Amino acid sequence: MALIELKDINKTYNNGQPLHVLKGIDLQIDKGEFVSIMGASGSGKSTLLNILGILDNYDTGTYTLNGTLIKDLSEKQAADYRNRMIGFIFQSFNLISFKTAVENVELPLYYQGVSRKKRHDMAMEYLDKLGLTQWASHFPNEMSGGQKQRVAIARALITHPQIILADEPTGALDSKTSVEVMDLLTRLNKEEGMTIIVVTHESGVANQADKIIHIKDGVIGKIEENEKHDAWGGSLIK
Amino acid sequence: MRLFDTDTFREILDSITRNRSRSLLTGFGVFWGVFMLMLLTGGSQGLKGLLNKNFEGFAQNTCIIATSQTSKPYKGFSKGRYWEMEYADVDRLRSLVPELETISPTVALWGRSFTRDEYTHSGTIRGSRPDYANIETPKMMYGRYLNDADIAQERKVCVIGKKVYASLFPEGGDPCGKRIVVDGSYYSVIGVDWREGGGINVNGSPADLVTIPISQARKAYNLGNTIHLLCFTAKPGFTMSDLTPRVRQIVSRAHYVDPTDEQAMFLLNTQLMFGIIDNLFKGINFLVWLIGLGTLLAGVIGVSNIMMVSVRERTTEIGIRRAIGATPNQILGQIMSESIVLTLAAGLMGIVFSVLILSGVELGMTEDGMLKAPFQVPFWTAIAAAAMLTVLGVVAGLMPASRAMAIKPVDAMRDE
Repeated sequence: MALIELKDINKTYNNGQPLHVLKGIDLQIDKGEFVSIMGASGSGKSTLLNILGILDNYDTGTYTLNGTLIKDLSEKQAADYRNRMIGFIFQSFNLISFKTAVENVELPLYYQGVSRKKRHDMAMEYLDKLGLTQWASHFPNEMSGGQKQRVAIARALITHPQIILADEPTGALDSKTSVEVMDLLTRLNKEEGMTIIVVTHESGVANQADKIIHIKDGVIGKIEENEKHDAWGGSLIK
Repeated sequence: MRLFDTDTFREILDSITRNRSRSLLTGFGVFWGVFMLMLLTGGSQGLKGLLNKNFEGFAQNTCIIATSQTSKPYKGFSKGRYWEMEYADVDRLRSLVPELETISPTVALWGRSFTRDEYTHSGTIRGSRPDYANIETPKMMYGRYLNDADIAQERKVCVIGKKVYASLFPEGGDPCGKRIVVDGSYYSVIGVDWREGGGINVNGSPADLVTIPISQARKAYNLGNTIHLLCFTAKPGFTMSDLTPRVRQIVSRAHYVDPTDEQAMFLLNTQLMFGIIDNLFKGINFLVWLIGLGTLLAGVIGVSNIMMVSVRERTTEIGIRRAIGATPNQILGQIMSESIVLTLAAGLMGIVFSVLILSGVELGMTEDGMLKAPFQVPFWTAIAAAAMLTVLGVVAGLMPASRAMAIKPVDAMRDE
């Protein structure tokens, strides 16, 4: 059974001039898949990601996540689903600047009501996994972009989510650290079977995924199987 | 959401201490408001206490009549006549003004000397009746006040004031039963009145006074029926100001003095004075609350304003929190508790600081180990102030919190 099932999703923004952003999206993503969503800016890929991440709601259609229909949720329910089912990775890392790395990683567990000691131990475990143990008590502004993104990944992973949603995860990184972060995501996918969806407009980044979904003007253009990672000659660097 | 666990508290502390100088300045508004309110309340209470101390022992509904030269001609008498009241006036008032409770006549002899062995002191001799205690309550340190038997038997006994006691009995101890020379003749001391005297003194300071039975005074000084002061109190439920015009009429008529002659007959109505002080402090208290609450309100608006700015600044942070699973209620709780903690912490500092200052004032206002007047704010006022601060913290947090609640998680990403 598909982990994510979108059926005829429509979304219109009504800021003055109505803007029909998503025009009937049908999409299925299975458990353990590594998918990238590509598209030019304004194509609706970020909106799609927001809907997938329950950050935004849609007008018509159905979105089923792990057998749960995600529609007309109360803010509280939405927050709870986000917390338990989805891990976010953002382009600008979105770490809280006045909290240390370990405190940032702990934060989702804080909102679950996990005890201080337990969530600290778990956060340290995840930082260790990502090789950031010695950076645990550092603040985000003391870390490099790649380290920050790895902290953000640890934060996304700590609640054992069903899916990882990454919005331009390498957008603020240089090419070397971009490779590192993408390798990390690939490893998570291969070794732990984590379902990962990456939104990007960089072909090199998209090429890391097993499946590339091209979105254009609010509809899905084509879905490319990319098991061999050779969509653009296999190089991450453009 | 658990409101009082250490985690929530740490979150709040983190946010408040992040922008330390701003939090301090914001808190200062509230601190100053509470500090002023408490300090002024304590100060006005203390001042009132000090003022009231001047009237210590005086019945609140008392009136004292003294006579002087007439200033108006009346019934064939020219102005400038000296006149004095007499014993019969007591009976006149007793029968004609039934609303009066105590009517006590006194005589006074000024500038007399009191001696015991080599010790001397000079002061006033007052002849009075036991019921004078209803006009001015004596504070008996030793012995007793005059009694009816003293009057009836014209006993040569006296009650001495604090300073008289200090001069004549420098060795201390109970002087009762010992004899002193009052203006040339021996009297037995029966008591010591420990009052200091202050704002209202009748026949000079009570500390320099020697009180003897009025019957003895009349006989010893050939005063006949003359009395010098006529003191009276009103029965409960009657106000002295309503009775004084009638009293004035009755006493003036009996002595052929113009009832409109304010100079010939001087009436001291303590009720009026207490009324003036009461009104004065009502006014002061009103101002205190106006200033204090006004300052406090300004402080609270400051908190609200700063929280508003802070929420705006933290849009991204709040968005991130929402994206990783904070419910709107958790955000609301956080902003509210920040506001409450900030207001309450600053306010409690204000309370503590004002209590310290008032303690210092009290320390300076102590005499002979006795506090002259209480300046300290009452415990429950402080508790009420703390409760009020919590409420104000909630009020200050309302607007910013509702704005924070409206932040959608997508805003976190938009604000890049």
